[in-house]
Amino acid sequence: MKRLLGIALALLLAAVVAVALYLGNGGGEPVVVRGVIGSEKEPFFNDPRVRAAFEKHGLRVEVETAGSRQIAVGSDLDGYAFAFPSSLPAAEKIRKDRKVARVYSPFHSPMAVATFEPIVRVLAGAGLVRDSGQGHQLLDIAAYLDLVAEGARWDRLPGNTAYPARKRVLLTTTDVRTSNSAAMYLAMTSYVANGDDVVDSAAQVPRLAEKLAPVFLDQGYSQASSEAPFQDYLVMGSGKTPMVVIYEAQYLSRLFSGDGSITSDMRLLYPAPTVLSKHTLVPLGEHGERVGRLLTEDPELRALAVRHGFRTADPKSFTDLVAAHRAPVARNLVDVVEPPAYEHLDRLIAGIERLYAGGAAPRTEGGS
Amino acid sequence: MLRVLAGSEVADLEPLLGQSGVKVRLTYAGTLDGAEQVASGGADGRYDAVWFSSNRYLSLIDGARARLSTETPTMVSPVLLGLRTAKAAELGWADGRATWEEIATAARDGRFTFGMTNPASSNSGFSALVGVAAGLSGADGALTAEQVAVVTPRLKEFFAAQKLTSGSSGWLAEAYARDGGVDGIVNYESVLLGMEGLTLVRPSDGVVTADYPLTLLASAPAEKKELYGRLAAWLRTPDTQRKIMTDTHRRPAVPGVRPGPEFGTEPLLELPFPNRRGTADGLITAYLDELRAPAHALFVLDTSGSMRGERIDALRKALVTLTGADRSASGTFSRFRSRETVTMIPFSGSVGETRSFTLPENAPQQVLADIRRYAEGLQASGGTAIYDGLRAAYPESLRTDPGHFTSIVLMTDGRNTDGASFEDFASLYRMIPQGRRARTFVVLFGESDAEEMTRVATLTGGAVFDARDGSLAEAFKEIRGYQ
Repeated sequence: MKRLLGIALALLLAAVVAVALYLGNGGGEPVVVRGVIGSEKEPFFNDPRVRAAFEKHGLRVEVETAGSRQIAVGSDLDGYAFAFPSSLPAAEKIRKDRKVARVYSPFHSPMAVATFEPIVRVLAGAGLVRDSGQGHQLLDIAAYLDLVAEGARWDRLPGNTAYPARKRVLLTTTDVRTSNSAAMYLAMTSYVANGDDVVDSAAQVPRLAEKLAPVFLDQGYSQASSEAPFQDYLVMGSGKTPMVVIYEAQYLSRLFSGDGSITSDMRLLYPAPTVLSKHTLVPLGEHGERVGRLLTEDPELRALAVRHGFRTADPKSFTDLVAAHRAPVARNLVDVVEPPAYEHLDRLIAGIERLYAGGAAPRTEGGS
Repeated sequence: MLRVLAGSEVADLEPLLGQSGVKVRLTYAGTLDGAEQVASGGADGRYDAVWFSSNRYLSLIDGARARLSTETPTMVSPVLLGLRTAKAAELGWADGRATWEEIATAARDGRFTFGMTNPASSNSGFSALVGVAAGLSGADGALTAEQVAVVTPRLKEFFAAQKLTSGSSGWLAEAYARDGGVDGIVNYESVLLGMEGLTLVRPSDGVVTADYPLTLLASAPAEKKELYGRLAAWLRTPDTQRKIMTDTHRRPAVPGVRPGPEFGTEPLLELPFPNRRGTADGLITAYLDELRAPAHALFVLDTSGSMRGERIDALRKALVTLTGADRSASGTFSRFRSRETVTMIPFSGSVGETRSFTLPENAPQQVLADIRRYAEGLQASGGTAIYDGLRAAYPESLRTDPGHFTSIVLMTDGRNTDGASFEDFASLYRMIPQGRRARTFVVLFGESDAEEMTRVATLTGGAVFDARDGSLAEAFKEIRGYQ
């Protein structure tokens, strides 16, 4: 009897240890894991369902947001368990700098444009928007760049009575100096401006930087991180942000949640060509490693990522959700180009940065 | 506790913050001053977050963005023109629709007057300046320094109608509600909606909007970051957003909460904001040196015996600061400017010699040096005849033409011991025609009689600045926003 009890106790103890190991934290309070992420993933990490899913594995994930380029080159990453920028090139840069063995790309999202029905009609009239024939609409980047080069204004577009604003026709982006979504936009526009070719030499950079700088500079002040202009789009509407470059996931996440923030006059366009943004997690420690692995492998977290509009390794769950919401989403994107290698993209950004600085000498001692 | 460096614009949220479950301490600073503190790293370690009406100017300063972490917009309010309803109707703007062009033309023709905050001290004035400059320039993209130069003559016409200035949006609204004197004020929509009898003019060619981002400093320690996350999330809950909308008339910053009918149905066009600091600073400089009415700033200065030693040193330093010794942007913008007249009226047991300095339109350096020498030569001895000093200042204040913004600064470190009484001063003050009565801004210092000094400020429609525990130079800098 005594001996049986002893065996039972031993078994029980073993079970407790196993559970504790599984939970990773002795079964008590979850371990706080801190990461720095691109702002567009903040709604995902703050989703109570996502937090609960991590807590099941003994992790409480706390995130701070920053522009992806800022994460890659500017931020002090000490004290973070992982960095989660929005593109592979930015992640690669961190991986090299921090000598990290393995990175995780649990989901990706093509770049898209969020706009409004009246604007789409105006753009279609100007020959910029066309139907893909597959349920989604395309924004012709080459035609758009021509329009920008002409300095076109909304109120001077022929036949435009829907949006007679005395503003340049310009896609709103984030600040290309800090943020990945703007860099991805630069990737697609540079491809077109380079004669439909990926920028692959330093010699191409100065001319392209000069040509593309107005696309960014003429917007005036741009925000640092991708969620901000999209929030402006949702909250302040076409007055502030008639059309904004976003990750497809930002729009779909709102649409799938059914929270009413995507109103009936809002539209999603796909730039042609577009680029894919591969959200890539760089672990900076053991707990960060686990976050990366869970996002890639845990079925619950993967399903939640799809609910947040991301495309994962499981395309079916994405297309099912799209079908259920009758979303005007591109199931197969054909016109997708590769972004330039990190060094070339960074050179392009640096070129545009110099043009920002062109008029930026602060006048500390003011005038007369 | 979350330590937040904030603009005075968010002070009206303090009562609501009590319900957040997060202990918050707000410390207030002017927009530009606060931006410099953050950009220079001076806010690191002392604060965990910043909360101004906008991060735009701040983000233009080199290196500032790297000091900021998560930004959470908390509410939305555009800067608009609020006009007396009768005046708005008279100008044909009863429906609140006008272009900047129409507004500037009516201003040029003298058909209305308005008050606005100093763009170097306050974000609402700065936003309005950017708005009217962008509106009048006809620019279709972001303003450039060249466009600012081109539009300056038109801007001058517009600002000819500005008859009231202020260092803060809150004081501007109070002064207008109490004293009137102008037909309306430029302020946040939220402030204007909280006032009686105004028609809100929403320029149809565009406005500049504040989004009050609660912003984590990158330097904040981990436990403060968690507090920040909780506060930011709470502020954006639909319940809190609705409360903010009802209590403070600000538009919600989340898509789930629909704005109420008081905000109108027309979408507001947002004007592009400059993306270069040079353009922003150039606009402020143009405003101070060319666009606004020049100031006549009178300083009634206590040089009594009790000021001897450190105190007279502090006074000298405070005045020297205003001659350009402070090379920061906020220091540069708050120094004595071109076209300005500065009158010094020292007093002790009686009134000393009054000295006036007028800065020429160009090359003000010589006169700035004269003021510096004057300030460095101030000596302390004798009694304290406060009201003799003030009674000397008011006739002096009438010497410049009425086109000036005339104001008096009274700095004293003690009680009145000699000469005229408060009542004597009050009766002289009432003899001055209304409309030419300068406001007196009082600086409390040392053993000032706070109660009586407050009476001076109240009588003249001024304000009280307390330098008893702080720096006299900072108080003087702050008052410059009101001159």
